[in-house]
Amino acid sequence: MKPVLRLDTVCKRFGGVIAADNTSFSVLPGEIHGLIGPNGAGKSTLMNLISGIYTCDHGNIYFNEQDITQMPPYERARLGIGRTFQTPRFLQRSNIRDNLLLGTDLSNRFGYTSAFFGKKGDDFESELNKLMQYAGFSFDWDDDISGIPFGQRKLLEIVRSMLAHPKVILVDEPAAGLNNSEVDNVMKLLTVAAKERGIGILLIEHAMDLVMNFCEQIVVINFGKVIASGNPEEVSSNQDVIEAYLGRQRNAQN
Amino acid sequence: MKNFTIKKLKIRPATIIVFVVAMAFILLMPQVNSGYKMLCLNLTLIYAMVALSISIMLGMGGQMTFAGVTMMGVGGYFTANMTSGRLGFAIPTLPALLLAPLFTALVALALGLVLLRLRGTYFTFATIGLVQVAWSFYSMNKPAFGGYDGISGVPKLDLFGFVPADYNQWFYILAGGLVIVALIIERIRKTQFGRSLAAVRDNETAALTLGINVYITKVYAFAVAGAICGFAGALYAMMNRYISADTFTFDVGVRYIIMAMLGGVNNTIGCILGAVLIGMLPEWLRVLQGYMQFIYGIGIILLMIFMPMGLSGVFLTALKRYRKKKKIKLEHRASQTAAEKGEA
Repeated sequence: MKPVLRLDTVCKRFGGVIAADNTSFSVLPGEIHGLIGPNGAGKSTLMNLISGIYTCDHGNIYFNEQDITQMPPYERARLGIGRTFQTPRFLQRSNIRDNLLLGTDLSNRFGYTSAFFGKKGDDFESELNKLMQYAGFSFDWDDDISGIPFGQRKLLEIVRSMLAHPKVILVDEPAAGLNNSEVDNVMKLLTVAAKERGIGILLIEHAMDLVMNFCEQIVVINFGKVIASGNPEEVSSNQDVIEAYLGRQRNAQN
Repeated sequence: MKNFTIKKLKIRPATIIVFVVAMAFILLMPQVNSGYKMLCLNLTLIYAMVALSISIMLGMGGQMTFAGVTMMGVGGYFTANMTSGRLGFAIPTLPALLLAPLFTALVALALGLVLLRLRGTYFTFATIGLVQVAWSFYSMNKPAFGGYDGISGVPKLDLFGFVPADYNQWFYILAGGLVIVALIIERIRKTQFGRSLAAVRDNETAALTLGINVYITKVYAFAVAGAICGFAGALYAMMNRYISADTFTFDVGVRYIIMAMLGGVNNTIGCILGAVLIGMLPEWLRVLQGYMQFIYGIGIILLMIFMPMGLSGVFLTALKRYRKKKKIKLEHRASQTAAEKGEA
């Protein structure tokens, strides 16, 4: 199968800090791909490189084997690279309707003028109904986005990114700050996205049990370098990974 | 699980109240006022259009700009040049009124493409520079802008044979123009353009990842705001029948911003209200004329402390609180009746 997203020897430095050092990996369609590493390892930098907020110093990024290294971020989003943030980013002063429509706007790109003169986008209500079943809560269209709990906002951000029909979603710590049932719903949504819609998911997460249970492939980075990759068993038994997370074991003889 | 379908437009009591008050205002004002008072009121309506253009840039898009006053000048001078015959030709007034916003939009588009390469505060400062440069052109350049003498002899608007005879009749035309501008802005707010602008305002990174071309969206907003200012400038030139650089100074530009801030920068009705208040205050408080600047100053400081979202912000917060209370009450009553039924 052709990877939906492929990084090829991507490098990025900020002054003396090497945030990405010859990083290469690829995400297949319908695959939940974990991206883990200690704090400051460069995970969020990679997300920003993929969505185009930062530009690569060296190396290439491919989307469906199309080189997007030089493409501006909004065009990457239109191609089908969705993204959610660690703290959900919504229109603070708007209601839920406007915030969700912002997601559907992405898939209805006929321009501001046509929209102004009444051109309507595709219906998304049935799709939304389906997704909200997995998200496990309901809302009022006219409710303020700031009026609903943090966990629901995070779920809603994933729903919004799915409404845009992306090919790959970059999910940044979806479980952070959520209670157990909300985490379950997040994983349900992501599983639906991957298995039913064939969306590739690149998942940053600190909760190891989640990563080990849900990801088919995992890539571990530290100091910007890929130190291990493979399926959960391979990664969890990898000596470098254990060292990066737990520190080097002191040898009794020395 | 409840179903989510987007409801058709629901007309709320607040909307009806606003509509009735606006209609009463439009119909009553020319009956009870005349002459100079009416002129002040008319100018207020023109100011309101400029304040609304600021609400697009600052309220929706979060981009602070002083350029409104300059764009109004572009529209005004364009109209004066086209219709007064000083360039050796004169086009009818109605086409001029329609061409002025178009021309201003093009000028704004070109300027926006350059200025909006700058971000945030740097953009704001660049617009300050623009206002100063434009003002010196307006006041010095004789061939294009009439220099210090300005341009006189602008004909009155001829609206399919209806030529306003006095300021009272002008009021209806301006009110009509303002309603059109307000409707356009409300429509923008509710469609993709408005949402994109709001996304740009709240978080540019998030906007980019939602597929919004932040730069071009800002440029479009600048052009649309320019078109509205150009329309206001054209109406001003035709009502005043004379145009000069005094109208387009930086000081005047700041006053438009204050109007928008006072009423609520992200609210259409608020901006109009702010323009009326700031425009009419010198008339209403004539005894305090010497202290006007002082009152303005103190007023702005108090405004920023106690109501950063302006008068409309205060009103909307109260309205939201009231609706929430009502909703909770209704839900409470519904659960009570359900419980009673269960008992019976």
